[in-house]
Amino acid sequence: MALGDLVQYVVTGLLVGGVYALMSIGLALIFGVMRVVNFAQGDFMMLGMYVTYFLTTAYGIDPLLGAVLIVPPFFLVGVAVHRVLLARVTGGGDPQRLMDTQLILTLGLSLIITNGATMLLTPMPRGIKTSYATQAFVVGPILMNEARSYAFLMALLLAGVVYVFLTRTDLGKALRAAADEPEAAGYQGIDVRAMHGLAFGVGIALVAAAGGLLATYHPIEPTVAVNFIVLMFVAVVLGGLGSIPGAFAGGLVIGVVQSLTLLVLPFQLQNVGVFIAFLLVLYLRPQGLFGQRLRTV
Amino acid sequence: MLKLSEVSVAYGGLQAVASVSLDVAEGEFVTIVGPNGAGKTTLLKAVGGGVPLQAGRVEYRGRDISGLPAHARARLGVAHVPEGRKVFPSLSVLENLEMGSYRAEARSRRGEGLDTVFGLFPVLRERRQQLAGSLSGGEQQMLAIGRGIMALPDLLLLDEPSQGLGPRIVEGIFEAIAAIRRSRPITILLVEQRVVEALELCDRGYVLETGRVALSGDRQTLLADPRVQHAYLGA
Repeated sequence: MALGDLVQYVVTGLLVGGVYALMSIGLALIFGVMRVVNFAQGDFMMLGMYVTYFLTTAYGIDPLLGAVLIVPPFFLVGVAVHRVLLARVTGGGDPQRLMDTQLILTLGLSLIITNGATMLLTPMPRGIKTSYATQAFVVGPILMNEARSYAFLMALLLAGVVYVFLTRTDLGKALRAAADEPEAAGYQGIDVRAMHGLAFGVGIALVAAAGGLLATYHPIEPTVAVNFIVLMFVAVVLGGLGSIPGAFAGGLVIGVVQSLTLLVLPFQLQNVGVFIAFLLVLYLRPQGLFGQRLRTV
Repeated sequence: MLKLSEVSVAYGGLQAVASVSLDVAEGEFVTIVGPNGAGKTTLLKAVGGGVPLQAGRVEYRGRDISGLPAHARARLGVAHVPEGRKVFPSLSVLENLEMGSYRAEARSRRGEGLDTVFGLFPVLRERRQQLAGSLSGGEQQMLAIGRGIMALPDLLLLDEPSQGLGPRIVEGIFEAIAAIRRSRPITILLVEQRVVEALELCDRGYVLETGRVALSGDRQTLLADPRVQHAYLGA
């Protein structure tokens, strides 16, 4: 195998990994702030794909733009889902019981969304046709699919916006403070419950946008979530539970590992490589790439 | 300024605080002392909004705040420096202090707050870009108190600031608390296990035992009380 091939596979993996990174930071944000494992995350991604698809087919809006346009409405959907459903199973109470109810709630939500979409939208796979989906940029010996390159750049841009929000604004810092020490955050005047709503809204908006970007090159169907929710979980654990930069890096790593797996295994088995890498990381560095060991002062 | 009337708090079936009444006047420095497990921290949390009341009421400036969540009390000018410091470990020192001034009244005067805190604890200025989780225990305590000061509070609640710290550092912390009081008009409610130091610093004190007020009075009275001398001063 030539070195050029290897570089080609790494580049292809990174391009796909950028979108994985975007969907994973949404999941990490929700887990980091709320300590809720959201099993419905992939289904909101699927909804993001469909809404982007309908914006394209009905209004001729380019999916790359559509993926950004759906951010505000999905943010509101996330805030509403938090207020109506998740707020009931977070906060005070027996932690084990809370965790059980959270799992049942988000898993149930996932089933309802998947099956609701199958009923309303039919299981038929759809795709968005764009002029750039079948084109590629040629950089020396490397080919970069145009749709994936644009999606990668947009994912990077959105992740950058989130990063600036979390590190440069009071609201973003309050979100991180609420994730770190909810009790102390309350003592500073931070409304922790409102921060949960904000985290869930942003998390859902991000995964929906990632879905919109994914739709530029991936078929859209009601059950598409299953293929991605596992990758998101792996990315979040790989990066260190709840760490946003970790989840971002985890997403990129998964893209690359997936791509490199194709060098040795057939396409259908590309996630095998991901799980082997996952097990290796858990074995060698159980706190994840960016996680910190639990510290007691 | 602060008035607790027959406050009770229970965890599960365990009575942590039983019908405690106390009051703190504007500008006063009051301390609550007592042995481990006496309910001091729980009582302070009842003021800060960290635990729900089982019975009784908490009034702040004549207003019943018993039902208000912690963040709403903070916005009224109550700053709670919790037991075990609870700094935000993944935020920088500066970000921790910024979060101290999260409430609107303090946010617009952030520079003023930072000057005060860095004046009290110069080491925090040196370490302002460092993650709070990487600080030593003493520095974290300084940061926790500094974060409280950033709120420009009217009422400062301090929960066991000496906990787990060496004698030298404790001395520095107590000096800083005395300095805070000299620098601006502020009311302080301090919970401490170090009875002597706390009593010497305060105007008035309460001795809490098994969730009840066993004794109360001004500094001189308490320091001279034979029961305090016997139990805490080794006399």
